[in-house]
Amino acid sequence: MPLLETRNLTKTFGGLKALDDVTISVDQGELVSLIGPNGAGKSTLINAITGMLEPTSGEITYAGTDLIGLDPFEIAQLGVGRSFQTASIFPELTVRENIQVAAFATEHGSFSVNFFSRRDSYDEVRDRTERILETIELGDNAAEVAESLPYGDKRRLEVAIGLATDPDLMFMDEPTAGMSPGETEMTVSLIRELLADWNMTIFLVEHDMDVIFDVSDRIFTLNDGAIIAKGTPDEIKSDPAVREAYLGGEAE
Amino acid sequence: MSTETTEGSEETTDDEPASSALETWDRIKHTERFVLVSAVVFVAVFPWVFTSLPLIPNDLLAYDQLARLVLIWGIFALGFNHLLGQTGLLSFGHAMFFGGSAYATALFANNVVADPFLSVVVGVCFALVLAVVTPFILLRLHTVYFAIVTLAIAQMLYYMAREPFEGITGGINGLGVERSPLFGLVELGADIPGIFGALWGTYMYLFIAAFFVAVVVFITRVRKSPYGLIFKAVRENETRASFVGLDVWRYKFAAFVISGFIAGIAGGLLPMETYFTGVERLHWTLSGDVVMMTVLGGLGTVAGPILGVIVFLYFEGVVNGLDVIGGYWLLTLALAFTAVVWKYPDGLWGMITSVSSRLRSRRGDQ
Repeated sequence: MPLLETRNLTKTFGGLKALDDVTISVDQGELVSLIGPNGAGKSTLINAITGMLEPTSGEITYAGTDLIGLDPFEIAQLGVGRSFQTASIFPELTVRENIQVAAFATEHGSFSVNFFSRRDSYDEVRDRTERILETIELGDNAAEVAESLPYGDKRRLEVAIGLATDPDLMFMDEPTAGMSPGETEMTVSLIRELLADWNMTIFLVEHDMDVIFDVSDRIFTLNDGAIIAKGTPDEIKSDPAVREAYLGGEAE
Repeated sequence: MSTETTEGSEETTDDEPASSALETWDRIKHTERFVLVSAVVFVAVFPWVFTSLPLIPNDLLAYDQLARLVLIWGIFALGFNHLLGQTGLLSFGHAMFFGGSAYATALFANNVVADPFLSVVVGVCFALVLAVVTPFILLRLHTVYFAIVTLAIAQMLYYMAREPFEGITGGINGLGVERSPLFGLVELGADIPGIFGALWGTYMYLFIAAFFVAVVVFITRVRKSPYGLIFKAVRENETRASFVGLDVWRYKFAAFVISGFIAGIAGGLLPMETYFTGVERLHWTLSGDVVMMTVLGGLGTVAGPILGVIVFLYFEGVVNGLDVIGGYWLLTLALAFTAVVWKYPDGLWGMITSVSSRLRSRRGDQ
């Protein structure tokens, strides 16, 4: 049974079909990528799956649970994490606190009545936070206010927040956008580490084709809200529909 | 084992005595015990400094009741700040908790038992009911819409108290309030004997001060709990908070209830202090006053709102009575407010902390 499945997912805004009959499935442990030209509906698809947008019709199941109608926090609690296209962090909190917020949500659920206990008494939250800081190599900046980090580090912190929610399935929306080549390389090796050591399933949206073809097990191609091709990187590279809609356009 | 000992010895040998004293201070000032001790010291010396400091001309000194009002309004401002400063929700209707509690306290005292403690408890319970019911309307709204609707609900209560319920509330004439001795034992209006009387005046001051210290300790603990962190996260980035799996609605609800609860304590204490309550305590201008006090003093801190209350009430109660300048107290205050917030968006407390950190960094350069 696939970990995540959408069936005939459609989302319309007025007369515009942002998602058109999207049927995809993701297996446990895979890295799948979603590509497509700007405005193809990539973000809409992620937003529909993670609960930010309610689809007009269709089904979404994650590990056997129907996701339609659930709030984002409920979907996150099921083990679906996400990182955002923009560096969506808590700017005035320190780096450590940014991760702690997510660690509390992971260890103590969506809501917990503990307003009268000290937060430094939660060992499991501290351990998780320190482990994430180490993985993402932000330990040296732990006490800094997140706002003051350079852009690349903010993006890494954003991924770290996603990781601290301990997801089984992680959506990463353009994790290398705006990064230097060195930072991109670091992110790619992080993605490999997540797959190998953290047993994670990753759903990647990315513009950098080198990264896509390098790390993906399978690729979905979206155009005008519809899936026009699915397959391995090699199959996608040689797919005429993809070349026309996307790759060809870029090569010219 | 061995690493522990090396680390320990490093700490003692490497640090210069001066900087280690500062570090110790930094560590201490964030502990809860320090906050408790500070709050106790503050309530112990504040009335004396405020009303009887030597060498200050009599015109510029405050009077006993103003010291008690500072503590009551201080509690209110701390409750308000809990919502705006911590969670980022701007309420323009906090008068509903303050005035609502004041009426519930007054009506209980006049019609059931006039015990001050029990009456305040009843007032707080009423404020809690309001704080539990209203979020079901309010928390669907964001930013300015939230502010406007809190204002609308409070104004609705104001008009209800003024006209339809005039028979109960006394309408625009207000309501005289009875007060019996605390638990039938201590007459709160009586002077405290001896030196403590000179410091604090009547037992009423101690009664209010006990609530004040309890509120400061309570708030500090909440700030140091997981809630304190999560409230700030909601303030900073609500979308992100929900995508890490937090039920943002419930945390906002919790922040709202805590804030209304604390505002209710202040509202209940006031009629016990003044033997009176009136519809103006539900009026929007009172909600506006608490916004101004909190922002003037410094949002998001514990000391800031209290400092803001002191300055505000000092202008209203003392500068107001001065000869020439007195008639312009509100203008003077507004100018001071604008000047402070323009230069220091973090308010008076932000001004103090930025000056002290500048002094420290200058010392560090040498």
